[in-house]
Amino acid sequence: MKILVPIKRVIDYAIKIRVDPTKGARGVQLSNVKMSMNPFCEIAIEEAIRLKEKTKTSAEVVAVSIGPKQCTETLRTALAMGADRGIHIETKADVRGDYVDMQPWGIATLLKGVVEREGGVDLVLLGKQSIDSDCGQTGTLLAGLLNAPQATFASKVDRGDDGSFTVERETDSGTEVIKIKPTTLPAIITCDLRLNTPRYPTMPNIMKAKKKPVETISLEAMVQELGLNLDEVLSRKNEVVEVYEPPPRKEGEMVGDVMELLAKLKEKGLVA
Amino acid sequence: RLRHPYRSAASFSVSGAPPSLGPTSELLIIFMLPSATRSFQRVLFPRASEVVVASRTRTPLMGRDRFVGHRIGWGWILPPVDDHRSRRRRRQLSVIASSSSSSSSSSSSSSRPSFENNKERDGIPRDHRRRCIRECTSRAELRGPNLNDVIHFRSILSRRDGGGIITSLLENDSDSRGARGGGGTRRVQRGLDGTVSRFIPPRAETREYRGGVVPRGGNTGLCGGATPLRDEIVLSLEGMNNIYGLDEHSGILTCDSGVILENLHAYSNERGYLFPLDIGAKGTCQIGGNVSTNAGGQYFFRFGGLHGTVMGLEVVLPDGRVLHLNMDNVDDDGTVQRTKRISTHRKDNTGYDLKHIFIGAEGTIGVVTKVAIACPALPTSKNATLLVCDSYCDVLKVMATAKVELGEILSAMEFMDHNTLKLVQAHGFGGNGDGPRLLRDMLQSDPSKQESDRSRQLYLLVETQGSNSADDASKMDNFLAHLYDSGTIRNGFLAQDSRQMTEMWRIRESCNPSVSRAGCVYKFDVSVPIEDYMTIAREVEGRLFASVKHVDPIVCVWGHVNDGNAHINIVTPGRFETESAIEETIETIVFDEVLKHSGSISAEHGIGQKKNEALGRLKDENIMVIMAQIKALFDPHGIMNPGKYLPKKYQHNMCK
Repeated sequence: MKILVPIKRVIDYAIKIRVDPTKGARGVQLSNVKMSMNPFCEIAIEEAIRLKEKTKTSAEVVAVSIGPKQCTETLRTALAMGADRGIHIETKADVRGDYVDMQPWGIATLLKGVVEREGGVDLVLLGKQSIDSDCGQTGTLLAGLLNAPQATFASKVDRGDDGSFTVERETDSGTEVIKIKPTTLPAIITCDLRLNTPRYPTMPNIMKAKKKPVETISLEAMVQELGLNLDEVLSRKNEVVEVYEPPPRKEGEMVGDVMELLAKLKEKGLVA
Repeated sequence: RLRHPYRSAASFSVSGAPPSLGPTSELLIIFMLPSATRSFQRVLFPRASEVVVASRTRTPLMGRDRFVGHRIGWGWILPPVDDHRSRRRRRQLSVIASSSSSSSSSSSSSSRPSFENNKERDGIPRDHRRRCIRECTSRAELRGPNLNDVIHFRSILSRRDGGGIITSLLENDSDSRGARGGGGTRRVQRGLDGTVSRFIPPRAETREYRGGVVPRGGNTGLCGGATPLRDEIVLSLEGMNNIYGLDEHSGILTCDSGVILENLHAYSNERGYLFPLDIGAKGTCQIGGNVSTNAGGQYFFRFGGLHGTVMGLEVVLPDGRVLHLNMDNVDDDGTVQRTKRISTHRKDNTGYDLKHIFIGAEGTIGVVTKVAIACPALPTSKNATLLVCDSYCDVLKVMATAKVELGEILSAMEFMDHNTLKLVQAHGFGGNGDGPRLLRDMLQSDPSKQESDRSRQLYLLVETQGSNSADDASKMDNFLAHLYDSGTIRNGFLAQDSRQMTEMWRIRESCNPSVSRAGCVYKFDVSVPIEDYMTIAREVEGRLFASVKHVDPIVCVWGHVNDGNAHINIVTPGRFETESAIEETIETIVFDEVLKHSGSISAEHGIGQKKNEALGRLKDENIMVIMAQIKALFDPHGIMNPGKYLPKKYQHNMCK
């Protein structure tokens, strides 16, 4: 069984985002900010490793990342958690600096190429969305491009012996169970928060991860290999008009007792 | 609980049947034989709200006859019996008595009076002796507050609605829990929106009110330093919580002392600075209290503690004078009045550096009202790793490797032993995140090991903070690779993002609460030579098993190993009541072991009311005398935190 897991390097979820004035009204401050793997991608890797551990046949987990050269660190984390090898499509610094530059359409096109290049991929596990763009489109676009079956917002994934996948997905109106029949095409599953809790990479695995292979290939070379047009890959995107911080929350006022509260409410005209 | 004002309570006389009080009040009169004092105190005080007065008449209980009719401190009554403490006291008293009265016959202190013959002792008539006792212990001078005081204080507090005072005198008291080791109804004065300096002069000037004052911050101290012993006023500073500003260039943050530590962290992080003090209680504790107790915390090693980072203080002395020690004269609405030479600089070598006396003074010589702290820049890259070692030698090697490989980015190294983490796993991890699984992985790092071997495992949490994430990551990588390849660590876990880092710190911060939930905890916070850290723990364990095995004590050790600071906690699982006999045994054993290695009996928790007697026994006489003189210099009437910090015999108002 071969599982492909695309992962994304984003600003760490605990960092407070600042608008970068040098990028005009469109950019977020990225320098000197801690970056780590998208939490949903972590969950996807964890699920892939669990599936690999559960299956009786041999399985391989391949992690893919598209981004600047620091993405190798993120790939190493994935390898330390238990993935077998990594593919790094390296972009120049100004492309895929952040979500503004490379958007889901371009990513999905590239991933489609990677899937076809790898061959024999049974399952593509993605995070349901990334925490910087919150688009949530890459998985579904990829399924559309590949014409493959998909199940999104998975909260439970089980693999049948015949190669089918049973997925429980969380929707606003409840839980839905979908069975993806085995086909020649890979199943596309996007992972939601409650699927699992990602493991900590332990020392032995971290040591082993250093020896696992990571293939680095530049974006241009990959595009050429796949026979795509670089312009087309990069230019099909939404244009971000403006990025701004939300107005600061106004502090609440403390009142001493109910009478004071009533007086203040009357003052503001909120109570007759 | 007595609903009557103090004065009339003091003049109750009990003869036979107790006087008729209201149906909801209780009168509790305690006579105690001094030798049984401690156990009585432990048993009764938690439920007693007040310990009152003595009787004028003979009571068959004790076979004693009359006592003095007003309140004498401690709740138990002199005259003493024949034990070493009271013999010394008697000696002091007899000396005073003989010098102040010419009619005394002998001042021999070595006579051993018998119980029955207390008409005359050392040749001094009984009534005279009693008078001298009254005069010389100025505890008799410190009285509790009454209604007039409440009215007076109300008039000077700026909260006119009367919400600034909580007291039982006015029947609107909140709970009044028995304090740790002491009784007394609490009168809490809260919400001091005005300045403390406005509060204190009226109090000191009106000599009619001379009572104890206990300054209180977040009340998270572990030695009972903010808990009143009897009937002191508790001065709560939580209402003074302005942050005045953070100077961008020098990084000096100025604020009131009632600001909660976590708020200071948030404030400085927003502006790109890191607050240099971080302790487990940061959600509740206030910076004034931290300064007064010289709190340590996990960044002590890196930033040098409060003595190294506090740049200026504003303190209010017990007589009302306000001292600005290397600090801007900041008015309470935030405007800064620059006067003469006072300002907040890092360096100021003009005269004795008085602020260091107030750091760690635990509220005994003044109230800290404003603090100026120098903050370092916020690190952009943080890494944390949990390491599992097989023995303490390995831990020492890890520490040495860290200092070399991690060098300047090493920011915290926390040590935990196996017993502690087992208790954390059993009792306490409230979070349902990764904590439990990480703990499980840590504790069972080597499934092939036997449980008895595993119990020797030791755990380290190493944190780094730096300015360049790529560099730090590679340093951490080299560090871990070095340790793993040389076999110094059995296993290690590296946090990949902030969520995992927070989980690791939560494990460390759960040590204290988990252990408290397992049973009764006897806490010790000691400084020991770093190489003897675990040997001391093992020796304590051995001696405990020899002497108090019946309670199954578990010795848990955790602490800031880089500072040599061990928090030794001995838990008696299943039992939740402190037992004084066991407590004394354990205390003797632990202090004994620590002193054998010339350690300190209180590394960062302070003295409070729990360790002051031990301090008297263990520290050099010359030092204690000078400390007592300093206390007398700042606080001539002994109103600040009476009965705490210094041993009772050095509290200068004992016998002038």
